[in-house]
Amino acid sequence: MSETSFFRRRWVRWATIVVVVVALIVLPLVLPEFANQTIARIGVFAVAVLGLNVVMGYTGQVSLGQIFFVGLGAYITAYGVTHDWNIIVVFILAFVGPAVVGLLIALAAARLGGLAIAMVTIALPIVGVPLAKRLSDVTGGSQGLSAQFSDVPDWMPFTMYDDQWQLYIVILVTAIVFLLTRNLVHGRYGRAFAIVKGNEAVASSMGISPYWYKVIAFTVASLIGGVAGFLYMVVIQYTSPETLSFAHSISLLAAMVIGGAASIVGSLLGGAYYVLVPQLTNIVDPNSTALLQGAILLIVLFVLPGGLVSLPRVLTRLARRRSGDDRGRTPQTTPITEPDPAAVTEGNPTERQGHA
Amino acid sequence: MNMRRTTRKAAGIVAMASVLALALAGCSRGGSGDSGDGGAAASSPGITDTTITLGITTPLSGTTAGPGTCTVAGITAYFGAKNADGGVKFGDGKTRKVEIKALDDAYDPQKAKANYDQLKGSVFAMTAGLGTPTNLAWREAAIADKVPQVLVMTGDPTFSDKSKSPWQLGFVPTYMNEGEAFGKLLAASGSDHKVVILSQNDDYGEGYVSGFKAGIEGASNITVVKQLTYEATDTSVDAQITELASTKADVIFNAMSITPLAIAALQKAQQLNWKPSWFLPSNTSSPSAILEPGKASAYPGVYSVSFAQSASSPAFATTDEGAQFLSDLKEYANYKDTPAFPHCVWSYQVGAVLDQAFQKMTSPTRDDFMTALRSISGYTAPFMLDGTSVDTTTGDQPAVSSVVIQKFNGKGYDTVDKIG
Repeated sequence: MSETSFFRRRWVRWATIVVVVVALIVLPLVLPEFANQTIARIGVFAVAVLGLNVVMGYTGQVSLGQIFFVGLGAYITAYGVTHDWNIIVVFILAFVGPAVVGLLIALAAARLGGLAIAMVTIALPIVGVPLAKRLSDVTGGSQGLSAQFSDVPDWMPFTMYDDQWQLYIVILVTAIVFLLTRNLVHGRYGRAFAIVKGNEAVASSMGISPYWYKVIAFTVASLIGGVAGFLYMVVIQYTSPETLSFAHSISLLAAMVIGGAASIVGSLLGGAYYVLVPQLTNIVDPNSTALLQGAILLIVLFVLPGGLVSLPRVLTRLARRRSGDDRGRTPQTTPITEPDPAAVTEGNPTERQGHA
Repeated sequence: MNMRRTTRKAAGIVAMASVLALALAGCSRGGSGDSGDGGAAASSPGITDTTITLGITTPLSGTTAGPGTCTVAGITAYFGAKNADGGVKFGDGKTRKVEIKALDDAYDPQKAKANYDQLKGSVFAMTAGLGTPTNLAWREAAIADKVPQVLVMTGDPTFSDKSKSPWQLGFVPTYMNEGEAFGKLLAASGSDHKVVILSQNDDYGEGYVSGFKAGIEGASNITVVKQLTYEATDTSVDAQITELASTKADVIFNAMSITPLAIAALQKAQQLNWKPSWFLPSNTSSPSAILEPGKASAYPGVYSVSFAQSASSPAFATTDEGAQFLSDLKEYANYKDTPAFPHCVWSYQVGAVLDQAFQKMTSPTRDDFMTALRSISGYTAPFMLDGTSVDTTTGDQPAVSSVVIQKFNGKGYDTVDKIG
C-alpha cells in the first residue's frame, strides 16, 4: 500500500519534471517573438530576485544593493564580449567578479548588525552609478556599452531565430542556478541560514557562526546577481549607468516580497512580477504606470502577505473555512516555507525580515 | 526496478517530445519568415491604406516624466489636429490617419528595450522618445530589425551618424552643435576675449567643450586661460568658481546640466565681484528656474542657444499659431497646462517633420520612408526661430543642427547676432 503511493508520488514527480522540460524545449519554438523575449526577461530578473532571496529571504539580512551586482556582471560581460574574450571565460568572470566584490564587502559589512548592513548595501548602487560614469574607458561612460553577442551561432545545424536561441541560453542558465540554489537552501547551509535568520544567539550556541554564514549568504547572492547580469546582456544587450539605478534595487526587493520571501518558486514569480507589471500597466494607461504599480503592490500585500507563492495556501484555507473547518483560521502574516507552521512563533527576532 | 522503469519511460517521453518539437519548429514560424523575405515590395508593418501607426517609448513616470510626457503630447497634438482634418496626404496619393502608441519606460533602458520589442511588430516607425541610454538600449536591435528610430530627443551624436546608424536620426542639436555656435559667434566679435571653461566631467560636458573649441579654432582674439571640470554628483562648485574668478576672464563657458549648481555658480561669482559674460547650455538656461534665482541680470550678458520658441513666454500665446498649439495640446493630447518644458514644442515639430517625410513617401515601406526622411532640407518647422531650419540630408548631423545665440533680457531671451 505504502509502496504504491510512494511509486505514485515518484511517478507524478517524474511526469511533472518531464512535462516542464518538454514545455521549456518546445515553447521557445512555437511562441511568438515577443513572448519569447518577455519570458527571457523574466528569467533574467528571476535569477536576480533569487540571489536577493538567498541573503534576505533565507538569511534575513537586508540587502538593498543587489542591482549593483547585476550591473557589475552586465558590465563585465559587455567589456569581455567587446574585447572578444572567450564567451565561457566571460561567463565565469561575470559571476566570479561580483562574488569576489560581494565577499570583500560582506567581510566588512557582516560584522555590523541589522540595519547597518542595509545602509552599507544602499551605498553600492549610489557609488556604482557615478563610478560607471567616471570610468568611461572601461564602462563607456554615460553612453554605456552595447554588445550583440547572443545571436544564433554559425555552427548551429538547423535554423533558429535569435530570440529562440537567447531564450534557450536563459532557460539553461536559469534552470541550473535555480537547481543549485534549491539544493543549497534545502541542505545544511539552508538550515544554518534559517537559524541565523531566526536567532543569532541560538545559532552561535549550536556552533554556527552567524558572521560566516552571513558572509556566505551575501557572497552567494552577489554571485547569483552576477549570473543575472550576464543574462541581462544576453537578452537586453546593453548596459549603462542607468542599469545600476538605486530605484531598481528597490523594485527587485518589492518583486522578492511580492513573489514570496524564502521561496524558490517565489523568486520565479517575483521575476515575472518585475517584468510583467510594468508591461500590464502600460497597456492600461501609460500615463499612470507608477500609480497603478503602487496600487497593485498594495493590493497583493494586503491580500497575500506571504507573496504570490502563498496563493494556493490561502485558497486552500478559504476552501477549508467554507467547508466549516476552522483549523486554518489564524491569519498568516509571515511567509512560511517549512511544512510545520509551528516552527515560526511570535517573539522570534524576525522583525528584520518581517519589515522588509 | 521501479526507478529504472520510470527513468526509461521518462527518457522515451523526452525523446518523443523532442522529435515532436523539432517537427513543430519546422513549420511554426517558417511561414511568417518567408512572407517577410518574399514580399519585400509589400507594405511594412504598421501601415495600411487608411492608417499609419507610430510608436514611442519615453519616460512617463519617474524623475524625467515632465519632459517625457511632453515628447508624447506635442506629436499627439500635431497629428490629432491633422486627423481631425481628415488625415495626412502621403506621397503615394493615399490619405492616412496617424495613430500613436506611447509606452512608459521610466528612463530604464531595460524597459525601453521591452517596449521596443512589444511595439516593433505593430508600428511603422519609432519616434520622438526622450533619453540617451533609453534610446541606445535598442539602437542595435532597431538596425538589425530595420525599424526606423527617427527624430529621437537625444543630443548624442551616435544617432545622427548615418554610417553607424542607418535606421536612426536624432532630432535636437547635439552638444557639439550648441558649443560650436557660441564659439563661432564669440570668435566673430572681433574684440579680444579671455575665456574660462567650467564643464561637467562626462560626455555631456566634453561634447560642449569640444564644440566650443572647434568654433574658436584659429581665432587669434580668443584665449582660453583656464579650464576646470566638476563631477555631476558634486554639491558645490564654489572652489572652481573662485579659482576661475582669479583669472579675471571676461567670458565663462559653463557646460553645466545640474540646475542647483548653475544657480549657485551665478551667485558665487557675484559674491566674488567677478562679472563675466556667461554661456549656459539650452537645458540649464531657463529664465524662471535658473536665471532669476541666480540674479543673472547683474552680468553684462547671459547667453544660451535655441532653435524653437518658448511656449512659456507670454508672447507665445498671443500669436495665432501659439494659441492654436496650446488649444491642440489641450484638445488632442489632454495636456492642460502651458508646457514648462521645451520638449512639447520640439515634439510638435517632430510631427511636422514626419508630415513632410510622409508627403514624399511613394511606397508604404520603411525603406522608402527613410529615403524620404533623409531628403528634407531648408524646411522651417512651426515655431522655429529665424536662422534655424530642418536639414536631414547631411548624414552626420541631427535633423536640427542649426541654433541661434540668444541673450537674456531680464525676462526672456532675444536672438542676437553678435556678442557684446
